[in-house]
Amino acid sequence: MENKDNSFGQLIDTSKDLDNKITSNIIKSAIQNFNQKIQLVYEKPNRSKIFVNNESLVEVALFLRNTYGLDHVESMSGTDFPAENEIEINYHLGSYINQDLHPYILNLATRVDRENAKSNSLINIFPSVEYFERETYEMLGVYFVGHPRNEPFLLPEDWADLPPLRKDFKLKGR
Amino acid sequence: MGSLTPDFRFGNFVGSIVWLVFVILALVTLLILPIIFFTLFYIPLPVVDGEVLTPYLFFSMMVDPSRTLPIVQFFIHTDLFRAAIFPGFGFAALIAAATIFVERKLLAKMQLRVGPLYAGKVEGIFQLLADGLKLLTKEIIVPSGADRPIFWLAPIMYVSTAAAVVALIPVASGWVVADVDVGLIAAFAILAFFPLIALLFSWASNSKFPFIGGLRALHQMIAFEIPFFLSALPVVIMSSSLNLSDIARSQNIFWNIFILPINAFVFFISSLAELERIPFDLPEAESEIVAGWLTETTGMMYGLIQLGSYLKLYALAGLFVVLFLGGWSGPQIFPPELIPGAHDSNLPLLQMIALDGLYNPVTVNGIFWFLIKIIIVILLMLIVRGINPRIRIDILLHTGWYKLIVLTFINLFVVLMLIYGGVIGPGGLISAR
Amino acid sequence: MSTLDDKINEINRLAIQITKDNDDDRLMNLSIGPQHPGSGHFRIVIKVDGDYIVYADPDIGYVHRGEEKMSEHRNFIQNIPHLERPVIHDSTNIIYSYSLAIEELIGINPPRRGQFVRAIAAELDRLVYTTYWLAIYGIFLGHSTMFMWPTGDRELIIDLLERMTGHRVTHAFSVPGGVRNDIPYNFKEKCLTQINYFEKRLKEYEDIFYNNPLLRQRTEGVGIMNKEDAIKLGVTGSVLRASGVPYDIRKVEPYDVYDEIDFKVQYMKSCDTFARAYVPYLDMKESCHIIRQLLDKMPDEGSVREKIVGNVKAQPGETYRRVESGRGALGYYIISDGSTKPYRLKISTGSFRNILALPFLLVGSKLGDMPAIYWALNYWPIEADR
Repeated sequence: MENKDNSFGQLIDTSKDLDNKITSNIIKSAIQNFNQKIQLVYEKPNRSKIFVNNESLVEVALFLRNTYGLDHVESMSGTDFPAENEIEINYHLGSYINQDLHPYILNLATRVDRENAKSNSLINIFPSVEYFERETYEMLGVYFVGHPRNEPFLLPEDWADLPPLRKDFKLKGR
Repeated sequence: MGSLTPDFRFGNFVGSIVWLVFVILALVTLLILPIIFFTLFYIPLPVVDGEVLTPYLFFSMMVDPSRTLPIVQFFIHTDLFRAAIFPGFGFAALIAAATIFVERKLLAKMQLRVGPLYAGKVEGIFQLLADGLKLLTKEIIVPSGADRPIFWLAPIMYVSTAAAVVALIPVASGWVVADVDVGLIAAFAILAFFPLIALLFSWASNSKFPFIGGLRALHQMIAFEIPFFLSALPVVIMSSSLNLSDIARSQNIFWNIFILPINAFVFFISSLAELERIPFDLPEAESEIVAGWLTETTGMMYGLIQLGSYLKLYALAGLFVVLFLGGWSGPQIFPPELIPGAHDSNLPLLQMIALDGLYNPVTVNGIFWFLIKIIIVILLMLIVRGINPRIRIDILLHTGWYKLIVLTFINLFVVLMLIYGGVIGPGGLISAR
Repeated sequence: MSTLDDKINEINRLAIQITKDNDDDRLMNLSIGPQHPGSGHFRIVIKVDGDYIVYADPDIGYVHRGEEKMSEHRNFIQNIPHLERPVIHDSTNIIYSYSLAIEELIGINPPRRGQFVRAIAAELDRLVYTTYWLAIYGIFLGHSTMFMWPTGDRELIIDLLERMTGHRVTHAFSVPGGVRNDIPYNFKEKCLTQINYFEKRLKEYEDIFYNNPLLRQRTEGVGIMNKEDAIKLGVTGSVLRASGVPYDIRKVEPYDVYDEIDFKVQYMKSCDTFARAYVPYLDMKESCHIIRQLLDKMPDEGSVREKIVGNVKAQPGETYRRVESGRGALGYYIISDGSTKPYRLKISTGSFRNILALPFLLVGSKLGDMPAIYWALNYWPIEADR
């Protein structure tokens, strides 16, 4: 975890005096439950980002859903970091059930190895992640274990190039 | 004068017209006149005005105004004229064309648009002609794997079947192509061919969406055929005839719609379903199954099927008028003579202008009222399209099998009660005979 | 666990099985799209058993343009015109959240008048989008008058936007720091006139379309997605609100001046296709209401744009900002590495999230319900593909 501290989110000023108590409660209790596996990256009004090991991604997600009602995925994306030879996967979790958490979005981040990109799928916890994970699979080449359909989605069926959102896929003329 | 080319010369223009006139004259004298004469010599000619028509007589009659009218009168009473032009195909096709144009304009007005505007300068009246020409010049694409004979035959069958129904519709007293005693049954029997053609065509075109459309057409027809027949049954009971002309004549005291309003409604709804018009255009539902059974039609094949369906629209509207609105009956508004005193004046030109001998006030009156009624019925059918969405197939089948059939029986019992009570029917209180 | 999970598992099992063996003669494969009058620019692979749909798989990506990759190669201002391509009818809203995100990254605040003008443009664009959506919904159900009326009335609002921004559909109006230019002379009066007329027309839409018994027959009780399923599937916008969750980003997380505006979140509890078709209509009414308030509260004087240099550098960091577009939440996740270009830009669109519900709703319904259910999802194919 130590060498991952230079992710860009860390550079924002993480002021701890938050107006929203519930969100800081979420972070606190999550860190208490999974003491070493979760790391807080930043905490801003209505937004916060936590970083988890890829091994404990599923249990953290399950904990967040069952305890705080973060019941759906607003967005999910992957980012290629060739310098660190890693791909970061972000799940932006939101809540419809919990009225207090309506404006809040939790960025649940994890990182996988770039060469052998493989992550656990969250499809059994959030059904809403299905298409996002399929898109990430083909755009960044991250295989999601447990996802039933790791197959082409947006790109043409005969796409045989690199996954296009990796940084070493170059656009012509740029 | 934007259409004139820059090197336009008036002299050239006149010269070309003169040249055209010369060519036409040469063609007429060298080709057309001999052909006419050959034909007239070798074909046995009929007797007109008490003497056998010879070619010389024919030409002299065409020159003498007083003798032209008997020829015209003779020709409009031939079977060919009836089938091809007046109560038959030509008249129906003209009404169909007018319907298409009116539909486009009417819908456009309802939807705050302008509709056809450019072809023909005035409100786009030649739009249909332009569309027809466009369809004629389009390539006809036959899908691979299609059953070619049926695929080619189906559009022609569609038009001819529609024309066959048209032949049974009486326009005025005695003005009907086929005056058969089982007219109503014949009409229903011919109408039952349409789903068969749709199914054959959809099968022949070897494609999925037409096939679904064909099956839907079949379901729809079967569900609506029975209320369609049943709604006409009380009419037959009341007029005790299946002959469409007799049915129309029997309503000269009161129209059937006053006694059978529910049946008229059912008949109207069922004919919309038979016509596959919105809200019953499921066989052609474009957002679900592309164009239904018409998906693989191209060019004039599509044009023919469109023509057939509008002929069918005319035929069903005519059937509605004959069964429920008293056919051609209506107050006599035409004078006995077009120009008063022309018959006694012995002035050939005046007689010709007054169409003396040809003009029959009763017939013209009948045609006039029939036209008025049929236009109203067709407009009602068109307006439905502007205000309704498409119905779903299960609701459609439910409507056909459960609701409409029950509705027809209500009025049937009313009619039977009135007949046994001696109010209407043969020997009743209010009866035509 | 529940029926939803069973259904999803069943759909996925069928998807794998169908790609493997295809010899079931009972079922008919239909490919609705991508060139089909009832699909738009995408394809639904459907299997029908008679008239019933037993399997549906949305195959999106026909108009995928790689907006996210393109954004990484252009600077923050250059990104504006191409990022609004996915929804040209709703272009202010799709750029709105981008502007908010970039404003946060470079640390500026638009002037107050600019915020009002931006909100007015966004609401007008919502009307443009929703009238277009309603028109297509009309023609999908075979109601041609409902296609023509909103398409005609949409022109009036487009004319307003043309006066305001200089373009008819793709405005590129909202920029980081406010809006591109001020509103023209006597815009306020013109806008009020058009909005008053449009509200009158909205009543007529209800009379001819929503109160039509045939439409009610086709949509009521069809494609039920109850509250729990809607939350699980993570749908958004009108689809979510039609399932009884009053969730509107303008209300729950007000951006710009929306916290000063008094409006109701329109939602329905019937959870069926009719509700999904009716909630956008209610939204249009509410939008007219909002525009009136915005025009009323807008300061008369002041600048509309905080000037920034064209090649502006953002602070390193990341942000996730969202707005309520015509199709639901529209979020941008932007990671910046401190240069003039975004390091990674992810657009999370309402269409992409709503289309997930399509197989769930279609399986078990009839083929004739397909257009009604599909287009009521408030789906815009190009926005889902990006």
